Amino acid sequence: MIFVTGPLLAGKQSCICAALGISPDEFARRAVRDVQELAAAAPDLPALAEALSRREIVIATEVGGGLVPTDPAERAAREAAGRLSCLLAERADTVIRVCCGLPQVLKGHLPC
Amino acid sequence: MFTLVIGGAASGKSEYAESRVVRLPGRRIYLATMRPWDQECRARIARHRRLRQDKGFETLERYTDLAGAEVPAGANVLLECMSNLTANELYDPEGGGQEAVLRGVDALLARCGHLTVVTNEVFSGGTACEEDTLRYLRALARINRLLAARADTVAEVICGLPNYLKGGPLP
Repeated sequence: MIFVTGPLLAGKQSCICAALGISPDEFARRAVRDVQELAAAAPDLPALAEALSRREIVIATEVGGGLVPTDPAERAAREAAGRLSCLLAERADTVIRVCCGLPQVLKGHLPC
Repeated sequence: MFTLVIGGAASGKSEYAESRVVRLPGRRIYLATMRPWDQECRARIARHRRLRQDKGFETLERYTDLAGAEVPAGANVLLECMSNLTANELYDPEGGGQEAVLRGVDALLARCGHLTVVTNEVFSGGTACEEDTLRYLRALARINRLLAARADTVAEVICGLPNYLKGGPLP
């Protein structure tokens, strides 16, 4: 599994499409995106990470960079999103962070 | 040559950008984009002026219409910062939107020697934003991506240290 993370609007999808030489349609079939949004409602984060790690490409937006949210539900959601990303990175063969449309490999290597 | 420097608030991105530009021979122009709205802005501007005093920069203030900036041909330009300029172009009555920003960068690249642009990492604080904020984020993110694609070097500054997303340190 390739896990892709990075700030909001960083160009994660187009970057991965270019790196793997795939079209946006193919990307839509092979990837699951915005998984940070699944974390809050998940009763079991490792089980969610396990299920997601069977997908080929998993994408999460970094959401932990700002101030701690004052709203408890937002706080819990942000916490769960961060934990999920760590669990996914652990399970991934390749971890890529995209910033300003530029990829940086944090783990493994991009398949050619 | 074109260098893009990105970092969060108080990450040391300005000092890093200045440290690159002072190593280049020739005239150095600091293109300042922050409009001195209030005391806080003025204090921030004064801090930056202190930081770069004795580094040989001539300061040129330009809040909108970058393409019209009278930059001496061949000078090395440090533009700080893209997040202010983008806000000015989007929200000022005389602003020309994100296209004015991109046109301005084109004009600078055609005219100056080495261009260094400082921009902000403001995209990791969560995705729950109001529509107007999202409009600004979309514009700045697109500008950042387009500039990063054109740049020879892209450095993300973390705790004052450059993490090179593209290119590397000056030789």
